[in-house]
Amino acid sequence: MTTHPSDVATALASLRTRWGEAAPRLGGLVPDHPGAVIGTLATVPLPDEQEHPLGVPVRPPDDDGVVRTGFAALDAILGPGGVPRWAGLAVRGDVSSGKTTLALRLAAEAQAAGSIVAYVDLARSLDPVEAVARGVRLEWLVVLEPTSLDEALAMAGALVAGRSADLLIVDLPAERGSRSGSGGSHRAPRESVPGPASSRRRSPSVADRLGRLAALARRADVLLVVLEPPGLPDPVSSAIAAAAGLRLELARRTWIRLGRDVVGQRTEVVVARNRAGPPGRRAELRIIYAEGGDRDACLLREPLLTDAPSLLRSRADHRATPPPPLAASPPPIGPGARVGRPGLRLVPERTARAGRTAVDRRDGHRREPDRSRARRPTGDGPRVGPPARA
Amino acid sequence: MTRLLREHPPIDVELDAEGRIVAIVWAGRREPVEVCNRWRIDEGWWRQPIARDYVKVVGAHWLALVYLDRIDGTWHLERIYD
Amino acid sequence: MALGSAHRLAPEATFLDPDLAADTAAIERALDVLAAFSPGVAGATDPADPAFGLLEVQVDGLERLWGPEAVLAGRLAAALAGILPGGPRVGIAGTRFAATTAAGLAVAPDRPWIVEPGGEAAFLASLPVALLTPDPDIRARLTRFGLRRIGAVAALPRSSLVARFGIEGERIHARANGREIAAFRPRRAPERLVLGLGLEPPIEDLEPLRFVLHRVAGALAEQLLARGAAAGRAELRLVLDPAFARRGTPTALAVEQRFPEPTAEAAAIERLLLARLEREPPPAAVARIELELTEVAPATGQQLALFVPQAARAAQLGWQLARLALAFGEDRIGRLELTDPEAPLPEARWRRLPIGSGSEGGFRPLVPETASTGSVEGAAR
Repeated sequence: MTTHPSDVATALASLRTRWGEAAPRLGGLVPDHPGAVIGTLATVPLPDEQEHPLGVPVRPPDDDGVVRTGFAALDAILGPGGVPRWAGLAVRGDVSSGKTTLALRLAAEAQAAGSIVAYVDLARSLDPVEAVARGVRLEWLVVLEPTSLDEALAMAGALVAGRSADLLIVDLPAERGSRSGSGGSHRAPRESVPGPASSRRRSPSVADRLGRLAALARRADVLLVVLEPPGLPDPVSSAIAAAAGLRLELARRTWIRLGRDVVGQRTEVVVARNRAGPPGRRAELRIIYAEGGDRDACLLREPLLTDAPSLLRSRADHRATPPPPLAASPPPIGPGARVGRPGLRLVPERTARAGRTAVDRRDGHRREPDRSRARRPTGDGPRVGPPARA
Repeated sequence: MTRLLREHPPIDVELDAEGRIVAIVWAGRREPVEVCNRWRIDEGWWRQPIARDYVKVVGAHWLALVYLDRIDGTWHLERIYD
Repeated sequence: MALGSAHRLAPEATFLDPDLAADTAAIERALDVLAAFSPGVAGATDPADPAFGLLEVQVDGLERLWGPEAVLAGRLAAALAGILPGGPRVGIAGTRFAATTAAGLAVAPDRPWIVEPGGEAAFLASLPVALLTPDPDIRARLTRFGLRRIGAVAALPRSSLVARFGIEGERIHARANGREIAAFRPRRAPERLVLGLGLEPPIEDLEPLRFVLHRVAGALAEQLLARGAAAGRAELRLVLDPAFARRGTPTALAVEQRFPEPTAEAAAIERLLLARLEREPPPAAVARIELELTEVAPATGQQLALFVPQAARAAQLGWQLARLALAFGEDRIGRLELTDPEAPLPEARWRRLPIGSGSEGGFRPLVPETASTGSVEGAAR
């Protein structure tokens, strides 16, 4: 086909004025060279870096190519003041290391700069309430829920190729295998990265696809973030390491306690690899978990918070310090107190009469006299904590 | 950020003589833990009752939220703080 | 209110039985009259709709035709005087919510309430918070939080309202701050666009079928563009050639596809329909193709009321996600929405919105409005 009916040309022109380089266009290296229309179903050709004809930029406007992490201390040691879009970021850490908090803060910062974020929730553990508390805007968060890593990579590749998202977070689930001495039953893992036995068959393919996804993301100026749990098969872990221009390793150092309760943690971040700056630097992240309710006001009062070691106390300590009873209603706080993020002004809640089960007619839920409310976490803490260690 | 495990996987717990949780067993891992907070929820008593005792536990590796389903007597993991 | 209670309150009043058909006809006539003043006219015509009796008029750019806003309001009221009982009350403001509220405060048809441009937030600040939402639970909670005036709600951070009330919190914040959040969808006349082509010889492969679909979609899209309209839905009907098909193969195939947003873009329509055909290929050669575009309405253009960078790309994102949903399954891709962040159980705090249905799951920069916040007659903007 060497000529095109006018309606085709008109349709293409109309589409181009609206979608810019993402629109289908005539094939061939020379724009005015006749050829077949491409891009209808195939991968859209990656555009050159140029503004949309209508002045709407294809990339977020004030991004400067760097996405802040949301933790000033970490941004300070990353060289360009954040994560470069081209770099590809791997965040490695065990459970409760804070890597998910870091990922969501990164997403919130990216959205604040105008990005659309896609979250590949392979682990099926994304909590939107928590995400909102960390500053994420759900209306600009695409959530992909694949059933396998293969599917996750295919979906992610399609999204990156279409340049519809600017930040892609791939949340890999931890490998779950039974170990001796567990003494109990547990549900078989619904989804996991292939184990060592199968890795010989499948992992090389997965590793290759990870590498291709990372390369595609770099070309498309999409920041790819992989949350890497420990215990991944070597080919997968190696592929992630090779693809990431920036690799962070998180390790929790202490818990932060408010009385007996654990309300946060201090996590050490080590820049294990950094193509945009010097590796080996360290920073401390202070992460606070708020439960919602009146007690959260205490999180702003530094003298009430204590750092606790990660080691568990002995059994003897359990007997010496009995656990708290079912939590009684905390004392009401004064009006006007502001708690972190989202910073809603708290007003003392009406407390149920002691010794009776109150039927709350707001929604018909029966509540015991103690507090039985949904948690409302707030953000992490560099704003309220002591200066973080660089 | 906490991870909300939507399927609330069942877990095993170890209790001491006083009935307090001293360890959690999940996905083949045993984690000695300490209780740091507890609360109770009763929901939907007029239709499909939900009765749970939530326990926030901390160990050397985890900070997690588990609950006892008082209706069928099973323990579940709802959330991991990460 | 029960009739007996009404009698006690106003014993001198005359109470008439409702005549829903007459009421509906009156509203329809009123909309026709208003359409003579402005191309953007909307109003519920179903008496069961809580917004029944509320008429909305876009008055942007009408000053040169009908005079200043105060004069225009008088003309509108005069035109409707003989149609709507008691005469309409008119409010003019920069957002639908503010205009509706202003109409509610207008005391007489000849005394419209006009909010100065940019003054919506100040106008609303002293009004009660109950106007912000029809949800009685949210109203009660706002009151318990000590928030009694709209200005107090406007001063709160958006994120805190979202954290408390989910998507309705987003709407409340926008309304209180005088921001428009819902697209104005003018009253539309039902219209269908359909074009069919016979294929000789019948086509077996998708590639040549794509080319034909491209021509048909392009032709219909041109008609939409010429009318300044957009279609919300497509129906693709394929007549199959049974000559070499297996026994039991159907003789026709129908594909219905809702768009993420109303569109007149031929290529976007074509890509989405082809994605459907790729997922469910015709079981036999296609002898005729017929494409019908439905749910045609005046194109409202790109909505950028939220003034966020992402809003400009929402349409593109919506279309791509719709194609991904077709390829991988609609249950794989979606977005999340907070419903009741304070619910005791985590499973009750949020819900998942699938992509691809073109309804709630579509990526749009504006949040669909819920029912009207009040029973105000004759609001106009």
